Amino acid sequence: MQAAQLEHAISTIRVRFGSQALTRAAELPPPQPWPSRTPLDRLSGIEGLPRGRLTLLAGSGTCGKLTLALSLLAAATREFAHAVVIDTRGGFQKGSPRTHGEASEFVGNFDPWSLLPFDPELSSLAVVRLDPDPSGEAATTLARAGAGFILLMGEVPEQWLGPLEAGANRSGTVLIGVVDAPGRAFAHASSLSLGFSRTEWVWDRDQLVGMKTTARCLKNRVAPPLGESELEIRYPLGPGLPFKAPVMEVPLHAVELECASAVV
Amino acid sequence: MRVCCGLTNHLELAKRPDLYGGPVVVGEWEEHVIAASEEASLFGVVPGMPLRQAGHLCPQATFLAPDPDAAANLRELISSALYDLAPVVEVRAEGIASIDVSGVVRSGESIREARRRLRAAIGREPRLGLAPGPFSARLAAARARPGRLMQVEDPRTFLAPLTSRELPLDEEQLERLDLLGLRTLGAVAAIGPRELESQLGREGRHAVLLARGAEPDELIAWRPPQFTCAHRQFEPAVEDREALLFVSRALCGDLAAELGLRGAGAKQVRVRLAYESNQPDERESIVRHPLSSQAELFGLIGQWIKEWQPRAPVTELWIELPVLEAAGRRQLRLWSGGDGNSEEVIAALERLQERHGDGVVSKPRPALLSSPLPTQRFDWVS
Repeated sequence: MQAAQLEHAISTIRVRFGSQALTRAAELPPPQPWPSRTPLDRLSGIEGLPRGRLTLLAGSGTCGKLTLALSLLAAATREFAHAVVIDTRGGFQKGSPRTHGEASEFVGNFDPWSLLPFDPELSSLAVVRLDPDPSGEAATTLARAGAGFILLMGEVPEQWLGPLEAGANRSGTVLIGVVDAPGRAFAHASSLSLGFSRTEWVWDRDQLVGMKTTARCLKNRVAPPLGESELEIRYPLGPGLPFKAPVMEVPLHAVELECASAVV
Repeated sequence: MRVCCGLTNHLELAKRPDLYGGPVVVGEWEEHVIAASEEASLFGVVPGMPLRQAGHLCPQATFLAPDPDAAANLRELISSALYDLAPVVEVRAEGIASIDVSGVVRSGESIREARRRLRAAIGREPRLGLAPGPFSARLAAARARPGRLMQVEDPRTFLAPLTSRELPLDEEQLERLDLLGLRTLGAVAAIGPRELESQLGREGRHAVLLARGAEPDELIAWRPPQFTCAHRQFEPAVEDREALLFVSRALCGDLAAELGLRGAGAKQVRVRLAYESNQPDERESIVRHPLSSQAELFGLIGQWIKEWQPRAPVTELWIELPVLEAAGRRQLRLWSGGDGNSEEVIAALERLQERHGDGVVSKPRPALLSSPLPTQRFDWVS
């Protein structure tokens, strides 16, 4: 009888104040991070990317954040039942010219999907193209429903950031945001922010095959900030090319492990 | 196949249990007799004879006009009652209820329960027969005492001494069998199907197979109605959206429990709001994948109610699922995280498509996956 009354009270609270007002312990996300098997795991300080929290990959211009994000997406399609890309900018379409960055001078008409590695599990992948306003609601709905991985290609309206994080937290969704320069609200909502800046291009036999970029932990609410690292990011130019990995960590010329930012 | 047949009264008679014990004849005036009780049969009244003749033979009988709707309702009632016991159920208006108990765990308990449910529905003890097919099971049931089961192991041996008038042939064909000297099912079984086919046509071949116990007929399986609904009346009328959400969540829970029992999912969802004075509002949608859980149903309906602008206080809320189909049962992908939530994510994507158009969600379709040209590796489909 008491159990029924308790269930009734819980239902009432959820209906009155939203489903996120009260969370059962059994519904809490698993504490284990998602091991992306990239150098980002070391930068996050928890040997993986946090589940149920927003991770930002930020950096102006061509700095490898999209290549890195698509590499994470390809890995996620193999590990999760649903990996969803929320394309808020509308430019994440095949054949659309790139509106920012410097790579266009090398690759011409830019197709973002050319950066997707060759081995994604296509049945798990879906792309949602919406305006920024409804995209927040869409991302929240999908996170609540239990999508394993959500890649946000742009910012989410401020009013949806709270529900989005709560929904992701309940389902243990890995949330990755890719932006040039995050707005104040988006930066505040993130638990892990990584800033990228390109240091040099990588050429092989007169062909552009990748870039070297500096990844810096700008904010970390899941572990102490660990400073920065230099990465070599290779474009996926063909399935048969003997690349060891699309993202490799290269030794820093001057290792400066310092606290990059305080917890916001 | 292992068929249990329960013989009861004709369903036209069963709808008036208060007349049990006396002669009852059902039929339209100037037409033929549809059903006659056992007491009326003692006076020579049989189904198919003119009702006027039945009136002469048994003037003291109660004559009833047929009510096909009531009989059909009773048939549905009995079918749904027996459907829990075995997957294949057939109930005929003549009072023949058959269930296929082959493969049913503890078939004896199912047969006992079928007897109890038939008795509750009809008001009389059924006669039960168990045989490898519907024909021999029906004949066995006809020879059992009320409330008892006659079991047939070897149908050919059981059928051999029975009269050939038990075969489903018309009067002319039965007279012809009589002229041919085929007066028992054993005699019919002894000749070849082709020989009797040359005499009686296709029915002749069918009759030989029946007489041999080959059981060429299958049961016509009853299917439960593909519709369900739940509703709640509000007294006094409700204006609060939160209250509507609360009630709709509870109704979704009830419907999900029922769908779970039936192993079904809703292919179409309709919500109606009745107002104090105005015409009711209605919204419906066809979903791509059947919704079966409370979360899936409420995900769609709750969204509608949040968007709804009721014109007046709401007096009644209806949630109807007019089209049901088998709920998809998937094999989980063993190594994929969160695959248990896959249906809910798919339902969420479908709701996005319903609201913003099909083009909102696209999925890649493999093309030339090994091509070094990115544009050839996959296409996008909505």
